[in-house]
Order: sequence, then structure tokens, then C-alpha cells
Amino acid sequence: NRHHCFYSASTSPLQLAKNSDSMDNTVYWNRETGRPNISEDGPIIQEARILALCDPNDAFNQPLYDGELPEGAKLLKVGSSLADFDESSIIDQNPNVIFVSHPNARDPLVQLLRKFPSVEWVHTRSAGVDFIASDGLFQSSVQLTNAKGMFSSTLAEYCMMACSYFAKDLPRLMQQKKDVNWEQYPVLELRGATLGIVGFGDIGRASAKLAKAYGMTVLGLKRNATNFTDPHCDHVYGMDGLNELMARSDYVLVSAPLTEQTRGLISAETLSQCKSSAVIINVGRGPIINEEALIESLKKGRIKGAGLDVMTVEPLPKESPLWKLDNVLLSPHNMDMTLTFMKESTEFFISENLPRFVRGKQLLNPVDKSAGY
Amino acid sequence: MAALPSSSRSLGCFIRGGTQCRRGFAGAARSYIGCSSAPSTSESSSMRTREQHSQQRPRQSSSIANIHRRYYHRSSAPSKKSWDPSLDEYKYWNREESKHGEASYVLDMSPESIQREARILCLADERDDADGPLTDRSTSKLPFGSRLLHVGTTPDDFPDSLVGENPNVLFVSPSCPHARLQLPLILHKFPTLEWIHVRSAGIDFLESDELPRVTKRGIVMTNAKGQFSSSLAEYAMMACSYFAKDVPRLLKQKGAKVWDDFDIEELRGKTMGIVGYGDIGRATAKLASVYGMRVVALRRNPDKSELDMVCDEVYGTGKLSLQKLMSISDYVVCSAPSTVETRGMVDADAFRASKKNQVFINLGRGPVVDEEALVSSLKDGTLRGAALDVFATEPLPADHELWDIENVLISPHNMDKTATFMHEATEFFVNENLPRFILGDTLLNPVDATRGY
Repeated sequence: NRHHCFYSASTSPLQLAKNSDSMDNTVYWNRETGRPNISEDGPIIQEARILALCDPNDAFNQPLYDGELPEGAKLLKVGSSLADFDESSIIDQNPNVIFVSHPNARDPLVQLLRKFPSVEWVHTRSAGVDFIASDGLFQSSVQLTNAKGMFSSTLAEYCMMACSYFAKDLPRLMQQKKDVNWEQYPVLELRGATLGIVGFGDIGRASAKLAKAYGMTVLGLKRNATNFTDPHCDHVYGMDGLNELMARSDYVLVSAPLTEQTRGLISAETLSQCKSSAVIINVGRGPIINEEALIESLKKGRIKGAGLDVMTVEPLPKESPLWKLDNVLLSPHNMDMTLTFMKESTEFFISENLPRFVRGKQLLNPVDKSAGY
Repeated sequence: MAALPSSSRSLGCFIRGGTQCRRGFAGAARSYIGCSSAPSTSESSSMRTREQHSQQRPRQSSSIANIHRRYYHRSSAPSKKSWDPSLDEYKYWNREESKHGEASYVLDMSPESIQREARILCLADERDDADGPLTDRSTSKLPFGSRLLHVGTTPDDFPDSLVGENPNVLFVSPSCPHARLQLPLILHKFPTLEWIHVRSAGIDFLESDELPRVTKRGIVMTNAKGQFSSSLAEYAMMACSYFAKDVPRLLKQKGAKVWDDFDIEELRGKTMGIVGYGDIGRATAKLASVYGMRVVALRRNPDKSELDMVCDEVYGTGKLSLQKLMSISDYVVCSAPSTVETRGMVDADAFRASKKNQVFINLGRGPVVDEEALVSSLKDGTLRGAALDVFATEPLPADHELWDIENVLISPHNMDKTATFMHEATEFFVNENLPRFILGDTLLNPVDATRGY
């Protein structure tokens, strides 16, 4: 199942084949199965001269700022805007790599790409690229890679917890404890229930793996469902199968990236297809779900509950009704925030993709610029 | 007393009267427990392959019965090569993996394969509708060759005339009040009883000085082991995540409308210690291993888990083993039954050995844990938190300290109580073990009355 790597007519040896829907582990790095560093064999054929579009005080980037970089790689400067990099010493060195983690990097990134046409490769520390999405970026010729797979297993754990939270009726347990009330009530099992995964990418795959161990039925939804199979997915739908997936699922996990196609995907109409016992869990991006319609459904009891780690506006404004709804499990976009997760992501750049770049090897975690994720 | 094969390798392995009892138990009940005739214990017999095991069973004269028995036991062999007790359907019935009512099909197809009748007495509160699949005459469908004679809660409820009908099967429901007193009296009144099936998994509610008489009389006892395991495994993982993702903090922040993105923990890479590695322990281990946790287990017979694929390390029983397990586990799941040996097993010494920030989960039986020591450990910060579904006294008294301790998740012994679980437990008796009894086949879920589980 080798991924094909072909060389375009351009001078860069690193064009990747467009195969972004492949679950091939040679292309996507995944911490559960991530292999030890095999990228350090072969001769070094070029240097990596790196600009870091980051907050210089970001401790998670320590390995990049202060640590030892692999042979052939050099960090030129850390900055947050074009002005920071406007020095002849930098210009003369023809930087060819940009590492991005700054939250306000969208415009500066495009400016940097214009200023430094020598840049071939942009790597972002996060999995989501929506924060830097722009025509300027997506229409450029640079190769874009990200941190897909870094956070999947942690989010999968959260997904199962959110399902169990409602299945065992944790809100009721907490209330009964407060009331010193020993009242036995029946609980639901996840075993035999159906989990529908909207956006069956790496997070979806990791969640499906756990869900199958629990004995759940797993349905998936992908942009390109043709010929897609996964050992942990019982049935996969294309985009036109969304309503059916919603109707069949007891638990719905939204783990899609935010793109023009997915914005507002879960609309009022979509939600109306759900079972009244359905639970919606969102670990993708807030804007994928029509938040007003979701709130309405929760208030009216048209769905049983929701577990939301992402929201349309973050931090969640105090006026939002979500704070007060009893059937909502809210978390401040931290369900993948382990103590080390961002550091691990930076380390992935340093010890996995950088050595590959300097040796002219295939980079892991390519982003499909035309698809936006 | 034969020592168990690799007892020398395990820490503090118990090899006391258990072995002897098993031999006697197997000897008396040989005709339908199907243990090998050699005194090698049922443990080592289960080390053999499924095919070898079936060959050991006694043959009946009827050739039709032979054919059906071979068909019936020609189950699809599991793909796992290692011996996994949960797959050994000759011993333990497990809802996820066992096939339903094969024996009933055989009985339906060829009634002449019946070896004996089942004349059933039911020790239960007649208002308990969970016993419905057996007791509700309007809906119950008992297998051919079986009859329910009477339902009652004391010996006096059962008319003396029944003695002459030679009842041979007793179904015991936890709904029967003072069952531990009634059981020996029923046994005394009806000397023809051969088999007792207990509807629940725990048999501690039947514990008394008289109970070992069951074994002495050669009465076979079976229970509902395996019925509740997957629900409890789900609860165990939820309890771990509850602390790893700090759900209490999430709820507090929500109540205060505070958006504070704090660091959370993963379960992946952490160690789970399972005290009492039975069916529930194994179901939990199976989930924990898929999460990427390291699993260590403690059980009376560690050699039985040598080849277990979801468990990384197994210890035998004993204070030192328990303390070792406590010292290396981030999450401890206590799923041991309550017996004379396990009472108060998890004591102050065990908690003193706890790994820093440990979470303790009890879903077995309250008395296995020294509740006072547990409360102290929660209050003084020895434990990060606890999730308890069982308690020494249930319902938990309203004035008990546990209600007020913040880092405790309390549930009213309901984490396995799905809407249908007790019905399913009775159905297991009606559709699985009862047909097996009638066909003269191995009964599932044998229990050692003397050992207490």
C-alpha cells in the first residue's frame, strides 16, 4: 500500500501526490502507531533555513528555539509579523521553511510567502489549518504540512467519555449526590449503540477504534467515500448520506475540519433527523454546527444532549445559553491539551519532518490545499 | 494436595483447600460438569484446546445425542491462540461472545435427546418480575422437559406434597429475603435437589456456615457470571476519564461561566491495576488495553492468565502483591467478589502503598475495601479520587461521610443495571443452562460454594 511519490517538472524534489484521503500510515503520522525515527538515513541533500512565525515566548516551542536541531537545519529567526523578518541578513540566506504557530498568522504568512519566494515548505504546529487559510496560502506553490494525528487518541478518549457521560447519566449522579439521594436508576450501555462520525479522518479513526472495542456500531462520513474502508468503520457515507447517518446514530461525533464545505454543515434540518435520544459531540470546529439550531434542539429536548469542546466563538461569551443548559457537557477547547501535546507537535516537526526535508524525502502529514485540510 | 502447575512462579499464590474442593466438586458432579476424569484440576484442563476438552466429556448411549452433542459443541474456534477464559464457553458464559441458546435449539429439534427432566423450585419474591422468564406463566416458555413446580420465599411456602415430586433444580433470586437462612432449610426439605442456579453474579448474599454443605452434598451451583461485565467495564473506563479530564472541574467552571483551558491527562500510557481478575476484570482490561493502558492484575490463580493478551502482568494474592499493584497503578479497579478471604483486603496498608495521584474504583463489593481507610485516604490526599458503585452498607446511609467528600463519584450500585439486565440473567438460566441440564451437558458458570465465588 505504498504511497506514490512523483516528481513534478519544477525544481523542487518534494511534490507529493494528491492522495489526501488515504489512511496510509506512511503519509500520516499518528502517535499511537507512530514509528520511531526512520527519517535519518540517507544523505543530506539540502539545508533547511527556518523562519518561525510564532510567539517568541511560547514555551511549547522551546525545542525549536533553544534545542538542538537536526543536521542541516538552522533556525533563522522567530517573529510574529513581516517586520520582524525584514532584515538583510535573513533575506540573504534565502529561507526555505516556515514553521507557524502564531494565532494571528494568517496575513503575515501570506506576506512572508510573497517576500521570500525561496520558501518551499510551510509546517503548522496545529492540526487545524483554518487559522491560516487564505487564497494567498492555498494558491501558492508551497507544500503545506500539519499536525494531523497528534491529538487523535486524546480526543478519542474524550469522545468515549462524552458518550458514557450521557449513557450513565452522570448529571443525574451528580444531582443525586448533592441531594444525598440513593436512588437506583437504569443505565444505558454503549455496547450495541451506534456512533456516527462526521468527518472520518484521523480523529474519527481513533474514536472508531475505541467505539468498536466497546461493541458499538460505527458509521462514518467522508468527503470522498468511494472505495474507502476501515476495519473500525461498519459503513461509510458520502456527503449526501449525512441525514441518514444522523437518523441512525445514537451518538454523533463531529470531527471534521472547518472548510467552506463543512461550515454550517450540521444545520437545523440535519439536527431534525436525529433521534430524540441522540447525543452530539463536537471536537472539530464550532462553526460546523449551526449553534443556534443546536441550542434550540437542546432546549426543546429534540436531542438528548451535547458534548462540546469547540464553539463558534471561543472563549464562549457569557451570554451564550450553552452555559446554562443542563444537558450540555462544556469544555474550553482543552480536551486534547495534555501537558506535552504542543511540545510533542513541535518535536514532530523537528525530529520527523525536518530530517525528511533535508534528505529530500517525502514529508508526513500533507495538507490538500485545494480541499483546505 | 496437588500444587497448581506454576505456583512457585507467582507471588503468594493461594493453593489451599481450593484445589481439593474442586476435585471433590468435580468428582461428584462429573456427569454434567464435564471435567476430566483425571484429578488434574479444571484449571489445567482448560489449558487444553477446545477439541481435547470436548473429548473428555462422558459419552451417553444414545447415538442421536452423540451427534447432537458433537454438532452443538462444534463452535467456531476463536482466532486467538492464547487461552482466554472469557472465550471458554464450557465454563463461563459471556454476553458479548457466547451464542444464545444453542442447547435450546438442539432440544427443540430432537426432544428424544433429553437425558433428564428438570423439576424446578424457585426461591424468589413472586413480585419480582425480573424472574418473569421463569415464573410468569403467561409469558414464560420453558424448554421441553422442564417444569416449574413452585415459587416461594420460605420452606413453608412450598407444600410438603412437592417433596414427592422429587424437585431437582433450585433457582435462587436475590429478591428472596433472608436467602442465606432459607437456602439451607430448602435444601434440607428437598433432598433430591441436584443443581442450584443463582440469578446474580455475586453469591455473597447466600453466605452462611451452612453453604459449604452444598458442595459436600455434591450439588452443582451456577450463577450469572459474565452477564454484567461489559456494562461495568464501560463504567470503569468512564470513571478513569472522569478524573483524567477533570470532569468535576469542567462542571464547576461551567457553573461559574469560567472559560479556563486547563491541561488534561490521557489514559494512554497509564497503568491500570485490576484487583480480582474475573470476568469483569477481563472485560475492563480489554477496554483499557485498547486505550493504550498498561494492565496489571491480581488474582488467586495467576497462572491462568499467563497467556492473557490484554493483561501485561499478573500477580497472585497476598498483602505484598496487592501493595505492589497499588504502588504502580495510576487507576485501580477493584472487581473482586466478597468472600471470607477478600473481606477488608484493600486496607490501610494497601492505600499507604498507593501511587501518587491514584484513582480508586470499586465496582465489585463494598466489604472488600476497608471503608474507613478509603475515606481517610480520600481526605488526606493519598488518593486523587474514587469512583464507588458499591459500599459496605447499601443503600449508603445518609449520614455517611462519603456523600460530602468532593473527589468521590458515587453511584447507587446501578452501573450494571440496564433496563433488562436481570431479565437477561433469568433468560440465561431458561435458555442456556436449563437446556444443558436437560441434555446432560456441561453447565455454564460453575461456582464453588465453599470458596464463595
